Amino acid sequence: MIYLDSAATTLQKPASVPRAAAWAMTHLASPGRGGYPASAEAADVMFHLREEAASLFGVPNPEQVILTGNATHGLNIAIRSLVRPGDPVLLSGYEHNAVTRPLRAAGARIFVARSPLFDQDAAVEAFAEALHTPMAAVVCTMVSNVFGFLLPIDRIAALCREKGVPLIVDASQGAGTLPVDLAGWGASFVAMPGHKGLYGPQGTGLLLCGGDAMPLLYGGTGSLSRQQEMPDFLPDRLEAGTHNVCGAAGLLEGIRFVRRKTPGTILRHEMQLTHRLAGQLQGIPGVSVYQGPHMAGVLSITSEGMDPETLGERLAGQGIAVRAGLHCAPLAHQTAGTLRTGTVRFSFSAFNRPEETDAAASAVRRILHTCPNRHPG
Amino acid sequence: MVHYLILCRSLTYAQRTARILERGGIAGTVMRTPGRIAKDGCGYCVRVGEKRLADALVLLRREGLPPKQVFVQSAAGEYSEAVL
Repeated sequence: MIYLDSAATTLQKPASVPRAAAWAMTHLASPGRGGYPASAEAADVMFHLREEAASLFGVPNPEQVILTGNATHGLNIAIRSLVRPGDPVLLSGYEHNAVTRPLRAAGARIFVARSPLFDQDAAVEAFAEALHTPMAAVVCTMVSNVFGFLLPIDRIAALCREKGVPLIVDASQGAGTLPVDLAGWGASFVAMPGHKGLYGPQGTGLLLCGGDAMPLLYGGTGSLSRQQEMPDFLPDRLEAGTHNVCGAAGLLEGIRFVRRKTPGTILRHEMQLTHRLAGQLQGIPGVSVYQGPHMAGVLSITSEGMDPETLGERLAGQGIAVRAGLHCAPLAHQTAGTLRTGTVRFSFSAFNRPEETDAAASAVRRILHTCPNRHPG
Repeated sequence: MVHYLILCRSLTYAQRTARILERGGIAGTVMRTPGRIAKDGCGYCVRVGEKRLADALVLLRREGLPPKQVFVQSAAGEYSEAVL
């Protein structure tokens, strides 16, 4: 199989990741629940994970790094912490349902700073204009999970600091390849999955906390057990219940892999593959390739001759794994004008090779060539 | 042998405390706070040697992590709160 769906989850992991997760399964107990070696070693893994993540993501102290189940979990905590019913909240036009659904559930009044694809200046202007109205929070993704558009998060963060508006950053597609800087941005929260660009196991994520946070879950923390209120300090406040220690052990190794390789190197590799594939697909009659100057390793296409779901299915039949449809981001498709059909998305990781993009492009060409509704070109 | 127990808000704070001490050349062991002195139930502390407490406190204050409480553990295993 040629796996080109790393924006959903990275399937190929460094060998150290499954090894650490498997070792943890049989050697590590619950951190913070005992003084015996298996518990103490689990606690060490958790602390090393927080330390590594803090170093990589500009977090002043390790306790500000919270282990979550995924980015959605972190975003839910962040939104619950900052948004009350009726609060106005400003979003980019490229947000995922992981942002819009919790906001809707929280009763927020949602405002969208709409701007065209791949135009960073227009995005900043849209945010600046919208921030003339007081907002309870801004939520912005670093990278569109559909189109790979890099939102100018540094400049949007600067606007938020200037206006004193709390910022939540969705780093789902940026963590591991782009600079993430909680303190530099002055963000209230940065949420990210562990299983995408950080190469950890599924079921892991991180929430970086720059401000006060409200628990989403209540329960045991291994601390202040006589009290019936949740502790008021991190990470305990946000980590009720037994940790996913196996996931944490794997994620620790994933982050170490990223730090050794460096995010910049991984980004350059993914961008080479993105440009290579974009160039190859552009030459296919009837195919529209969504690309621009500010992109990460995610590429979407549509075809005049075949709907995205069918094309995705045919590619799967040829051993090429991609994601078709709306990618849980109808707002992004609405912004880009692809809401009716969706797109076919190709996305990369450090483990993809140029031959794989060549094979994917050839497969698209072959499939569309044999399609009865094919473009005449 | 006499030890000091630096009580911390949580396991993570205890780990951070031990890390700061380690960087300053002071050996500290993270351990569960003995039940007799854990007023709020379930806590963690860092144990340091008798002669290193003063240096440890200086380091922790410099790093913005002053201890919640410090207890002396006597050679006989008795605990008494240290006045800082």
